[in-house]
Amino acid sequence: MRKKKIITYLAALGFILILNFLLPRLLPGDPFMAIYGEEAALSLSEAAKEELRAKMNLDKSLIAQFKVYLLTLAKGDLGYSYALNQPVRTVISKVLPWTLLLVGSALILSTLIGLILGIESGWRRGTRADRWILLTVVGLSALPNFLIGILLLLFFAVQLGWFPLGGAVTPYSGFTGTAYLLDVFKHLFLPLLALTLAQVPRSYLLTRASVLGNLSYPYVRTAAAKGLKPLQIRYKHVGRNSLLPISASLGVSVGSALAGSLFIEIVFSYPGMGSLIHQAIAQRDYPLLQGILLVIALTVILANLATDILASKIDPRIRKE
Amino acid sequence: MRKKSFLLAVALFLGLSLLLGGCSQKQASDKTTGQKDDYVVYTVADSNGDWGFPSPWGHYQRGPGYLRMSFIFDTLIWKDEQGFVPALASEWQYDQENKSYIFTLRDDVFWHDGQKLTVDDVIFTWEYMQEHTYPWVDLSYIENIEAKENNQIEIKLKTEYAPFLANVAGTLPIIPKHIWQNVTEPEKFTEPEAAIGSGPFKYVDYNKEHGTYLYQANENYYNGQVRVDQLKFIKLNPQMTVAALQKGEVQAAAIQPEMAEQLNTTLQVLTETGSSNVKLMFNHRQDPLNNKEFRQALAYALDREELVAKAVRGFGLAGHPWLYTPDSFWYNPNVEQYEYDPQKTAEILTKLGYQRDPSTESAYWFKDNKQLQLGLLCDANLIRAAEIIKEQLAKVGIAIEIKSVETQSRDARILAWDFDLALNSHGGLGGDPELLNRFFLDEAFNSARFQANRELVSLIQQQATIMEEEARKELVDEIQTILAEEVAALTLYYPQAFWAHNGQVPLFYTKGGIAGGIPLPLNKLSFIES
Repeated sequence: MRKKKIITYLAALGFILILNFLLPRLLPGDPFMAIYGEEAALSLSEAAKEELRAKMNLDKSLIAQFKVYLLTLAKGDLGYSYALNQPVRTVISKVLPWTLLLVGSALILSTLIGLILGIESGWRRGTRADRWILLTVVGLSALPNFLIGILLLLFFAVQLGWFPLGGAVTPYSGFTGTAYLLDVFKHLFLPLLALTLAQVPRSYLLTRASVLGNLSYPYVRTAAAKGLKPLQIRYKHVGRNSLLPISASLGVSVGSALAGSLFIEIVFSYPGMGSLIHQAIAQRDYPLLQGILLVIALTVILANLATDILASKIDPRIRKE
Repeated sequence: MRKKSFLLAVALFLGLSLLLGGCSQKQASDKTTGQKDDYVVYTVADSNGDWGFPSPWGHYQRGPGYLRMSFIFDTLIWKDEQGFVPALASEWQYDQENKSYIFTLRDDVFWHDGQKLTVDDVIFTWEYMQEHTYPWVDLSYIENIEAKENNQIEIKLKTEYAPFLANVAGTLPIIPKHIWQNVTEPEKFTEPEAAIGSGPFKYVDYNKEHGTYLYQANENYYNGQVRVDQLKFIKLNPQMTVAALQKGEVQAAAIQPEMAEQLNTTLQVLTETGSSNVKLMFNHRQDPLNNKEFRQALAYALDREELVAKAVRGFGLAGHPWLYTPDSFWYNPNVEQYEYDPQKTAEILTKLGYQRDPSTESAYWFKDNKQLQLGLLCDANLIRAAEIIKEQLAKVGIAIEIKSVETQSRDARILAWDFDLALNSHGGLGGDPELLNRFFLDEAFNSARFQANRELVSLIQQQATIMEEEARKELVDEIQTILAEEVAALTLYYPQAFWAHNGQVPLFYTKGGIAGGIPLPLNKLSFIES
């Protein structure tokens, strides 16, 4: 059983490597022109162009490029981004903390909020409270996340001036210690709120549906008959059983939150993987795209792995199988 | 009960965060006012932020990247509003007989680390750049370079090359020998020493992930007093620019044309027209667009004034077909302008054997039982212009099918000649007439690649080798006349660009663009008190 799982994960990894390599190259357009643009490329002599192309491995066949990719990857090297003049690993490792901060906290917050709202709303199904929560959340899910972002930004940052207009820190403020942390928090607040609001509907709807399903089971009546307090029934029994779909969809949530962060990061000029992807696509930066896609794919795989383990912890039935 | 306490917790959390937000803001303002009163920090914002490490090989190969580098590294000569001015070289002259330029280097220039800048550094830069390509400068025209007496340098050309001052002497940053002589991979050299130059600003910091730069004024600058103490470049979503300008968080930034009027009252607004254009490209390798009369017919059918009014809401100038705007030195007014005249289109099409059946509903032209229909390739940025062109051509009986694809795909398809008509936009019109080579002959997606007229090709190749300006102008005039007749490509309009700033530093647009032709108002000379 376990062996089969490992093979599945390895097969997924191999598939991902091939896709990572092929997808960026399937994009039409010439990375050379994308990097050097009209201003510089035109003053380059033909010989210089050839030299630069060779340096970027663009003169090699697709198979040869794939070999280079696998060989460098085998050495634990993600490659070198010629558009950014930096090793891909350095580029990614510098933005990764900001992504983890934004996307990580948004995931945790939105899951928690969605879970609580879902349980409360499911428990009170059909009541006015349930209808209002449902309406609000569904309404929220209809708004694209960048729109939520822009609205928040316009109101809280431009109109009221409570929050900065963009970025992750005040540039060259010289803050240290607590002042620095506060500065980071102040910059994080609005993008985090926007991303969280955009992610809440997902976990809320899943939880609510699952709570509704669970409520009809006899164990709920038994628990009530035992004289348990409603709060205990809601969170300890129904809530716990409703966790399963949420945790199972964690891998997908990671993917969707990362995709969502792309827009949020651009709206808030926030550093991170999202704006990096945007830049890498615009410049046809193959090595960087490969690197980012690999990191994201690995994150999702790991999230799935964690889900598998988590699921067996939450649901003893899975453990037995 | 439980719910109430939860709500309370949320309210507390929100309240606390707002309070903290307010606090730290106050702290920040305390900090800036804490500095001495006349300490001037100047912040420039743009939407990308990151343009690479500001050394010649570290910056990204785009205008804003070059500019960030140019604040730190000086060149032999530079441009002010009017034209070339001395920089590291106090004077220069051209020796026609020997095809060589002689530059006299200033004797009072020091690198940011205190070492003296000498003739050796200049020669080293040249040699180093022969070995390590610097994409902004084409050194293939240079025969050799040597030191002369009295701080002079002689640069000998292989052939006469008119754009030398603009594209080489005025673009090539001089680097310190004592720092670069042992560097083998200049792209990877991004230590702070790699940003030691001789320009008006000293490098302090560059942060890639935040897209920010911090420079300090160079108090020992040879060319004058620097107006500000600190120069910052930051990244900002363009939607927030106006708010940031009004709050004084940013002192200069590009703005949307619509905002110009609103900001005009409180800030200074700069406008620039004519350095970039939107043009219609023809696939003149296939029927019917390989016929110049057919291309002329299309030119008469397009109302370029209407395009300006509708596609860019009036923020632009209707195109003069041959690239140059009337205020350019190189503009030739005595060529066919193709004023809007649908009647002429009909005449030409009839002459070419097209027929229009007045009895049918559709008023499209036919030839050999086939309707006259052309594809129009464009990207999302130009879709409005494409729609208007479609409408205008439908009026004269030519059916257009718009194919809108992503920018890079469009460029790839243009390069592969996989189109009938294509809409393209590009800058770089302000610089030396060498741009005629770039935009009509070179193998690039924004070039017309028009080789059909041998005379035109040889004239364009010739003009770059004529050193005498009047003679060159005559040739460029003649080229424009032929281009007009051939309609190799058609400039539809020149979009306007707007910048707003607080007036603290007298920013200006450089005539012909900064260095090789960068159309941004961030010339380092505006930061120097003369």
